[in-house]
Amino acid sequence: MRKVAIVGVGQTRCGRRDDVSFPELVHEAVKEALEDARLDIKDIEAFITGSMPAPMSGINAPHLYWADAVGAYRKPIIRVATCGTTGGSIAHTGYYHVASGLFDVVMVVGAEKMYEGDPQGVMTTIWDYRYERPFLAGAPGVFAMQAMEYIHRYNFTLEEVAEAAALLSVKHHLAALDNPYAHIKQEITVEDVLRSRIVAYPIRLLDICPISDGACAVILASEDKARKITDTPVWIKGLGYCGDEQLLADKDLVWWLSAVKAAQKAYKMAGIENPVKQIDVAEVYNPFTYQELTFYECFGFCSRGEAVKLVKEGFFNKDGQLPTDPSGGVLCTNPIGATGLQRIAEAALQVMGRAGKRQIPAVETAFAHAMGGSYSLNSVFILSRSK
Amino acid sequence: MGEEIEPRIIEGALSLPYRWATGPVGARFLEGLKNKKILGTRCPKCRRVLVPARKFCPRCFVDTDEWVEVGDKGILRTFTIINFSFVGQVRKPPYIVGIIELDGADVGFTHFIGGVDLTDIEKAARELRPGMRVQAVWREERKGDILDIEYFKPVRE
Amino acid sequence: MSGRVAIVDVAQTKHGAPYIRNLTVSDLVYIVVKELLEKTGISIEDLETIITSSSDFWQGSGCSNVFYFDAAGAYLKDSPKVEEDSALGFVYAFMRILSGHFDKALIVAVTKCSEAPSISDITSLNSDPFYQRPVGIEEVTAAGLQAQQYVSRYKLSDEIRAEIAVKNYRNAINNPYAHRRMNLTIDEVLGSEILAYPLRRLEVADGSDGAVAVLISSEEAARKLTDTPVWIRGVGWSVDHYFLGDRDLLEVVSLREASERAYKMSGIRYPRKQIDLAEVCETSTVQELLWYEGLGFCNRGEGWKLIADGVTGMYGELPVNPSGGVLATNPYVARGLIRVAEATLQLKGEAGRRQVPDAETAIAHSTHGAAGSHHTVIVLGR
Ligand SMILES: [Zn+2]
Repeated sequence: MRKVAIVGVGQTRCGRRDDVSFPELVHEAVKEALEDARLDIKDIEAFITGSMPAPMSGINAPHLYWADAVGAYRKPIIRVATCGTTGGSIAHTGYYHVASGLFDVVMVVGAEKMYEGDPQGVMTTIWDYRYERPFLAGAPGVFAMQAMEYIHRYNFTLEEVAEAAALLSVKHHLAALDNPYAHIKQEITVEDVLRSRIVAYPIRLLDICPISDGACAVILASEDKARKITDTPVWIKGLGYCGDEQLLADKDLVWWLSAVKAAQKAYKMAGIENPVKQIDVAEVYNPFTYQELTFYECFGFCSRGEAVKLVKEGFFNKDGQLPTDPSGGVLCTNPIGATGLQRIAEAALQVMGRAGKRQIPAVETAFAHAMGGSYSLNSVFILSRSK
Repeated sequence: MGEEIEPRIIEGALSLPYRWATGPVGARFLEGLKNKKILGTRCPKCRRVLVPARKFCPRCFVDTDEWVEVGDKGILRTFTIINFSFVGQVRKPPYIVGIIELDGADVGFTHFIGGVDLTDIEKAARELRPGMRVQAVWREERKGDILDIEYFKPVRE
Repeated sequence: MSGRVAIVDVAQTKHGAPYIRNLTVSDLVYIVVKELLEKTGISIEDLETIITSSSDFWQGSGCSNVFYFDAAGAYLKDSPKVEEDSALGFVYAFMRILSGHFDKALIVAVTKCSEAPSISDITSLNSDPFYQRPVGIEEVTAAGLQAQQYVSRYKLSDEIRAEIAVKNYRNAINNPYAHRRMNLTIDEVLGSEILAYPLRRLEVADGSDGAVAVLISSEEAARKLTDTPVWIRGVGWSVDHYFLGDRDLLEVVSLREASERAYKMSGIRYPRKQIDLAEVCETSTVQELLWYEGLGFCNRGEGWKLIADGVTGMYGELPVNPSGGVLATNPYVARGLIRVAEATLQLKGEAGRRQVPDAETAIAHSTHGAAGSHHTVIVLGR
């Protein structure tokens, strides 16, 4: 099978970007990525784009709207969209473009302009119009139910879990200060989190990601090309994608089978048997603090019900056994169509050793995740310095 | 599976508010319309003048670097007469849409064509032909949007 | 590349039939996937990847694939959604097999136009909010601009345009899956009301309800699953500029690009000679002529001759749209994959009354975007 490497990444400054139009925002990330890989637009053979459901930006078929901005004139372009998982899905698509042998160098672009539309209004339409749509209030309402289920499943008290969640929030906010692309840059304390407004019980404002405008581009290349383009190719050593049922109530949201299986597939391909030992840093798609606890367990970073304890022990801190989200994660930056791809870009930068102040020392292998759909779709990448 | 039940339709509508950023190049272009100026930007590489003004050239993939005012007259490249309705339609049908090659621009400009009697569509179509000259008809009150030009009308020169 | 990839089999709904109007999008997907599994004798457990194709705006639903995820048999599988054009879903599945990661892939596409606003309502949202949307640019208006330019540049007659519609609706009579199956006269087409001058109602593809599923596999798997594999010989896809004004609507550069790529890959040098039939995505009559030109069946401005000489008629040298094409059947996002399914049935010799005799090589073409800004070309062979 053909090996595929990441050879360049580009990210825009995220936040409220009223200063640029949607295509101009996308263009920024594309230019950054080309510069990063020292490539010309002519070198890019095909483009893979994605964003949230098109109603989010109010423009249908956004790949056509972006076509000139990514430089796709007379070239292949495709749009793949799977809600929050989009950033992961387009990276998968880019991977298969190269792995198929049809292309050698492709660019994957994800973007969102969330301040231009009504994100929660759109996300509510993910749910079945007959049965679930009237009840499910955007994303926070659903994740709040997941949090309660988690607390109940393992017989925690709310306070125990809320504290672990708050610690994660503090940790990510601190990390975001080191990330020049991050949106929310604010030092906070555990007390700040626990005293912030309840948005959907038990989830508080500082447990929740922001909405952001932002774009991210990643350049993928075949082995031959990758070696010519860069001295620090980041190899896609494993990838997995999995989805579970449509209806929210059908799923086990504490032991998310789609998350478990997506990770298992990626681990198998990458030869990972002991994730904690073999993974040096993880960029987990964490729009909600409580949810991140369940992900740690589903990905085998700890055993079931153990995440609360490990968070409190600092296991996932920058100097812990498995550092997570040194970028500040989704909790601090969330242009959804780009968010999953940012996890991959950030993980790649860690492997390249070019993550600046957020660098974790000596990263050999990194983990990058995305989640979306009716909280049903999960994507996992394992990136590595060695093939 | 048991007795036949009358199929049901659940009616719904999605209505969402948007606020779209034009970007600075777009803002300057739209501001120009307020002053009855149609502005393009020139690509430093292929030298084409792009209207509406672009931040970058879609062919050369480099930033444009020069503002150029183009004429509010031009040549009609093609047209169509619309005789049906859809949601969000700005004009009541029938109306004419055309692509215009403005004087001094190197790409086409899409807008309404007016000043033509549309009581008989086919008769109206015969009054129009690609290659004919058209000229912008500006609104009295201009707000800095694309409809500051009400339409383009055929002119004899 | 790790070898040849084949289409094993296809399944489709009776598009636009009254009975599917009352079914959900999810029901339609379930019907075609079930039928395809039965036909090919594989079980859902044999599949690891299912590529879906639909549109969130068309479905009025964020993440439209989630709604029919279970119905596609995708539970705990690797199942992304390719938006807007299911022919791109097909090429993605093709790449997945080529990569060697999967030996089988199912592609399923669906749109229920009867549940959604009109094609114009939806495609006006394809236009940018600043420059093109306020002046009414949507698919039908763009097709009108393109048609008028063709008429002016090449002096195309009304009758030729009407003949394209007559041909396609008439071909559809032979296709039990087609939606609008009509025996019309040229006068009837030209007597229908003007939608976007010069185009009349019967020259513009209206929407349909429908779903389609296609199973593809590696050569090794295909040999076990079918006696009549259809080989994917070449693919190409490409996009034009976004603004209509930046394009020459008659040059169809992105179609030329896409077909060149597909032809190069499949070793086709003389398309008119080497291709036995084509299923193209004509959203208007004039587009069918433009696609002939872009696909290299004739020179620029000469598409009309193929109609006048009957070359692309059912009994011509290169029949185009024996299924009735998109004028007859247009479940929007599914229409590209329907072209693939129809071309496959032809090459398998299972096209019934619409069968083109001895078809060896066929083209499936798809397009989306105003005046055909994005094109996909797929070359299939026996
Ligand atoms: Zn240029």
